[in-house]
Amino acid sequence: MGRALRNMFVAGCVLLWLIPLYLLIVNALTPAGGYTGTPDWAPRGFAILDNLSIAWSEAGIGQSFLVSLLYSVVCGSVAVLVAAMAAFAVVVLPVPRPAFWFWLIYSGTLFPLQMFLAPLFGLYADANLYDTRLGLMLVYAAWAVPFAFFLIRNQMTTMPPEVTEAAMLDGASFRRIFWRIHVPLMSSGLGAAFIFQFTAVWNDLLLGITLSRSPEVQPVMAALTTLNSAYGSSGPPVILAGALIVSVPTLLVFLLFRGLFLRGVTAIAR
Amino acid sequence: MSETLSAAGPIRVKRRIPTRTPGQASGAATARGRLGSPAGSLVWAAPALAFVGVLLVYPFFRSVYGSLFEDNGFTSEFIGLDNYVRLAEDPILGRSLINTVMWVAGTLLLPVVAGLLIAVATHRMRLGNLAQLVIVLPYAISGASTAVLWKFMLTSDGAVNQVLGAVGLGSLAQPWLLEWPQNTVSLIVAGTWQATGINVVLFTIGLRAIPRDIVEAAHLDGVSGWSMFRHITLPQLRAMTVVVVGMAIVNSLKAFDLIWVLTQGGPSRSSETLALTMYREAFRLFHVGYGSAVALVLSVIVVAASWLYLRRQMPGARD
Repeated sequence: MGRALRNMFVAGCVLLWLIPLYLLIVNALTPAGGYTGTPDWAPRGFAILDNLSIAWSEAGIGQSFLVSLLYSVVCGSVAVLVAAMAAFAVVVLPVPRPAFWFWLIYSGTLFPLQMFLAPLFGLYADANLYDTRLGLMLVYAAWAVPFAFFLIRNQMTTMPPEVTEAAMLDGASFRRIFWRIHVPLMSSGLGAAFIFQFTAVWNDLLLGITLSRSPEVQPVMAALTTLNSAYGSSGPPVILAGALIVSVPTLLVFLLFRGLFLRGVTAIAR
Repeated sequence: MSETLSAAGPIRVKRRIPTRTPGQASGAATARGRLGSPAGSLVWAAPALAFVGVLLVYPFFRSVYGSLFEDNGFTSEFIGLDNYVRLAEDPILGRSLINTVMWVAGTLLLPVVAGLLIAVATHRMRLGNLAQLVIVLPYAISGASTAVLWKFMLTSDGAVNQVLGAVGLGSLAQPWLLEWPQNTVSLIVAGTWQATGINVVLFTIGLRAIPRDIVEAAHLDGVSGWSMFRHITLPQLRAMTVVVVGMAIVNSLKAFDLIWVLTQGGPSRSSETLALTMYREAFRLFHVGYGSAVALVLSVIVVAASWLYLRRQMPGARD
């Protein structure tokens, strides 16, 4: 009795979660011009490649896709490296008042993004960074640092200090200890932090629409939003195809690195 | 799993971040000689401090200061606390606050409870992993894509109304996004579809960490079903619940992209939350100082809520 109830509950949830995904795929298959105004429940034609190519080239998702890939990879890596160095300083090195530095860096995640936007806009306008790729990369890297720092620091504190002490007795320099001991031993933790920050930068909308305007600078979520507000001209199948395209990288990363992701989640959750 | 969870004990107590590792503590006396100058080691933290300081901490304080000005992007004039007075009198603020509270309550009710139930139901179930994967998939999709998809489903001739018509409940069909409060509720449901997955993952991690002998001992004592869940599972999941609920509170307060893409806060600002009010005031209407005031109110709420919550919950989470 209990088992049957449980199976029904799980089956119901799976169905509820699958229906939107099913609709997304089926309607992205509909030819762009052939959309009737109401959602299709069965495939009508197989125009997904056409829709993808319209979304990619005509609607400008493609350009933003590549730019966003640049932002996510570069800013994710920079943030993880910078955060790992800071974690190394706070956990391993004899920094005075490590708790203060911890909170200072970590405070970047506490406040809502809205709190930084208006002054950032002013700062960027003055420094000619508004609507430039460099400007967005700087802010994405800065935004990704605190949380990566939090994850990496958590994992670094679980490393036995004897390892560092032994290396120091052998006369290794900080730089050597960091690159030869901490980075290799923490590679999975650093990987998990990178995945988190890659996803965060990829999925950002707010910074993208605030600090950029032109298509060659805009990140992909901003491009998708623009496409969505132009609903009438391009038609739902194209927009859904666009939503599919922009979901591919995070879905791939998620499915490929599921184990690493789970370890990362465990690291936040503990 | 239980090893890592207990090894990380101090970290759960967020108020008391351990200020020194065992290595630092044992070598404190000689560390100065062996490790070089303390100030020199700050060089390692310098890039992080520069990024965070220039692009996050400085703008934060600049925003606090800017909220005391009437600033339209071209001219600015010191007006003291007038922005806050205006904010308190703004009729939009009431709706915006109600929506924000609805988001917090809805996110605590739907994704957290659904996540818990699904995690418990799929735990040690045949094909349970597959079911979990389906529910986690939307979590990998961005808020903007989720919004695009749900807009397609929620418009007046969208999929939801189609289904209602098909099963003979056509009378329940309605313009989901056009009237308050069902537009905010619809947005929360769309958010639930996306966010439940991560809670399932977190609760599953928590379930795996429950020592087997406790469950077996309870079984021997004849405990099962609901009382097992109520008296064994739920208390053992407490540490994880603290994390999930804490994240839900903060994320629901900050929710932006889903609402912005689905309704832009409309129609006539009826689905706006504080996060959207700030964006609209500062970047659509160019009330920069006023927008900063909204952002500060939002920040105070976010920080106060998480601080109060963690303060109450953290000490008990140690066991």
